[in-house]
Amino acid sequence: MTDPWDVVVIGGGNAGLVAAITARERVSRVLLLERAPAALRGGNTRHTRNVRCVHDTGDAYTPGVYSYDELWRDLCAVGDGPADEGLASRTVRLSASVPSWMSAHGVRWQPPLTGTLHLGRTNRFFLGGGKALVNTYHRTAAAAGVTVRYDCTAEDLEFSGDRCSAVVVSGTGGRTRIEARAVVCASGGFEANIGWLRQYWGEAADNFLVRGPATNDGRMLAALYSAGAARAGQERGFHSVAIDARSPRFDGGIATRLDSIPFSVVVNAHGERFYDEGEELWPKRYAIWGRNIAGQPGQIAYSIWDAKVNRLFLPPMYPPVVADDIGAVATGLGLDARAVTETVTAYNKAVVAGSFDPSRLDGCRTSGLEPPKSNWAQPIDTPPFYGIAMRPGITFTFMGVRITEEGRVRREDDGVFGNVFAAGEIMSGNILSSGYLGGFGLTIGTVWGRIAGAGAAGAAAAGAPGVAAAGSATAGGGG
Amino acid sequence: MTGKAANPPASPPANPAASPAASPFAGLFAEAERQLTICNACRYCEGYCAVFPALERRRELTSGDITHLADLCHDCRDCYTACMYAPPHEFAINPPAVLSAVRRHTYDEYLPRLPWPASRRGAIAAAALASVAVLASLAVWIGGAGAAGGAGAARGSAAAAGSPYQVIAYPALLAAVGLPALWSVVVMARSGARYWRATGGRGLTRPTALRAALRQAATLRNLRGGGAECSYPADEPSAARRRLHGFVAWGFLACVASTVAAAISQDIAGDPPPYPVLSAPVLLGIAGGAGLIVGCGGLLVLRRRAARAAAGGDAARADPALKDPALRDQALRDQALEDPALARRGYALLTGLLLLAVTGLLTLVLRDSAAFAPVLGIHLAAVVACFAIAPYTKFMHVVYRFLALVHDNAEPI
Repeated sequence: MTDPWDVVVIGGGNAGLVAAITARERVSRVLLLERAPAALRGGNTRHTRNVRCVHDTGDAYTPGVYSYDELWRDLCAVGDGPADEGLASRTVRLSASVPSWMSAHGVRWQPPLTGTLHLGRTNRFFLGGGKALVNTYHRTAAAAGVTVRYDCTAEDLEFSGDRCSAVVVSGTGGRTRIEARAVVCASGGFEANIGWLRQYWGEAADNFLVRGPATNDGRMLAALYSAGAARAGQERGFHSVAIDARSPRFDGGIATRLDSIPFSVVVNAHGERFYDEGEELWPKRYAIWGRNIAGQPGQIAYSIWDAKVNRLFLPPMYPPVVADDIGAVATGLGLDARAVTETVTAYNKAVVAGSFDPSRLDGCRTSGLEPPKSNWAQPIDTPPFYGIAMRPGITFTFMGVRITEEGRVRREDDGVFGNVFAAGEIMSGNILSSGYLGGFGLTIGTVWGRIAGAGAAGAAAAGAPGVAAAGSATAGGGG
Repeated sequence: MTGKAANPPASPPANPAASPAASPFAGLFAEAERQLTICNACRYCEGYCAVFPALERRRELTSGDITHLADLCHDCRDCYTACMYAPPHEFAINPPAVLSAVRRHTYDEYLPRLPWPASRRGAIAAAALASVAVLASLAVWIGGAGAAGGAGAARGSAAAAGSPYQVIAYPALLAAVGLPALWSVVVMARSGARYWRATGGRGLTRPTALRAALRQAATLRNLRGGGAECSYPADEPSAARRRLHGFVAWGFLACVASTVAAAISQDIAGDPPPYPVLSAPVLLGIAGGAGLIVGCGGLLVLRRRAARAAAGGDAARADPALKDPALRDQALRDQALEDPALARRGYALLTGLLLLAVTGLLTLVLRDSAAFAPVLGIHLAAVVACFAIAPYTKFMHVVYRFLALVHDNAEPI
């Protein structure tokens, strides 16, 4: 094939698929590069299950109203708040059109999953989860005429001036060049690149588990940086949750995460508590626990609970340590029995009697304990007792490339690349700083996949930097 | 890369390949429990069918629970297609395969123990089919000879042309068909009772649960994939299987109704066969036979296509239903989504019903011709054989699945 492709999309997750479908609605020759074999396609999207969107009326899948202002407040309340207010507010505003776009492209919905407390009003669940979403988008893309190459790793980008002229790929056919009129980088973060993480986290990175595939090594991000792309986001910015310490190093996904924390006490390797387990409703706080544990000695922590609360959260995938006294649970976890028993005893004494209610901030708290437990605090006194060791499970890193309102990648020299666009996790650092809001990664990917896909199609059609592309990107993103 | 800091001792879920099990069934249930424990921690599939909500109501799984879930599974395969943990992922989740293996085991478990090893039951069923067919044919011809010599006179009136009693005397017909039918009904009732006890079933006396189960069975709610339809025979969503199953089920019921209508006409209204085309027995028979031919024929085609997908090769690659490479790879990789022995029972049921329908319609078409007697003989032989072996084919799923639906609807949400 000698003709350049109109648009080459690098990455076959949600953002890449949305960009490819959007681009194909505007130009004819669209190629999507998927690094994984077909059976494992979809990157981190395989592990997703819902998308957080503004909606001014409720329906069967998201009962109630979730306004722009409320989503904006929620976004401001996690970590250090939005990174770039302009781009973040654009994301929130355009999120309102995401569900209808998804429905129009074949996605089906289901009621909020059982056991996902507090998510039903704000987040829409797609039927069957992320792999079903990926399968649907592939069907839609194939019907539209998008070409997909599997087992195809984008290794490098070739530039002439401020324009990318070709993508260098390796795959079953060896190393080849693919010429493109415009490129969308939707290749994700660098969370599976432990060496890169070590630059910012030191040896601690060796104890991080990665919830998605091992292919998310940030190769395209590095290529963009070396071509002069501007950085967005914090070096240590990531979405990371507490997962079972026995999880596989890569790709353990949703089943390995632990929801016991708000109903338990969490101790570190010394058997000491270190953070308020009941600070906020779980969907608003689950994403800080990866970071919390990353800051503890050995990057490990232990959730300990009793029989009273054992059925209040999703059952863990791996069996917990079970025993009739706290000391035995501690020993089973490899902890000092005396230290853990002292911590639990002190906690039990500090619990103030209240009306326990897992469905809301119930104010059941401790008094005179440091750190406090602000909600759902009950004495841990009913055998059997349970314990599970947890490690940080990184979902994706935020540090990426700075973009314009049209999704075009900015250069360090304050210029822009004429025909290079970014969508998804690779540009999430424009929006997220250090905290995460459940379901917002898919929102970012869908909103910016549409913007970048339309922008790239415009750039390919115009054949020259800048011309008409901005206008069509805006129309595409809002449409 | 340096190693991880010391982890607590890993205790991964039981893996039957790694741990010697007491019996093959223990290994099977351990594997089902391993997979379902991961499913219960994930829950992405709960919108597809009744299996996952039922799983979520359980924190620990007994073998009775696993059997119940396996029979609640309608084998639509949507969960497998949607599963990010399906092979080649190391979690190797494949509910359709493990649940069909559990069904196969439990189907054997609750049937009367034959004096042959369980592994040879497929061969036994085939042998039973052949021998019963031969016996039935003999019976028909003997009966036919009797009829010629005055069976009609024994009933007090000569059988009309096109009447079965020209060929076989009524008592002989009743015995030839009734005995195997009675045997099957007794076996199925007994097996159902054993299944019901083993799974801790409840709700059979609860009208709401019965009504809901009947509705779900009639509409095949659990073959709708939560609106997405099924990933069968390949992994593209399709309503084909649900619709074809409808033809089979309603076709079968129409044939039963035809027989009942004929019995009423003959024994209550005193109107002996043959019946005109525009009569309840014949119209119901035509509709039922046609439904069975369309449904069974279509399902056999779907099964062939699923088998072709599993076998791989150029045929699979050329199959339009397998054009998506990911789904094709997945289909090729998992050679047996359905337990092979269970698949053979599926073939046995569909082939048997198809044979009944074709020979039944032929007896109608040819009832005024010289071929009537031999065709009726073949049809009756097929009826006798199918009735006799029904519990050893997939026909048993009617009993277990309906009981599982009743149980499911009786559980508190």
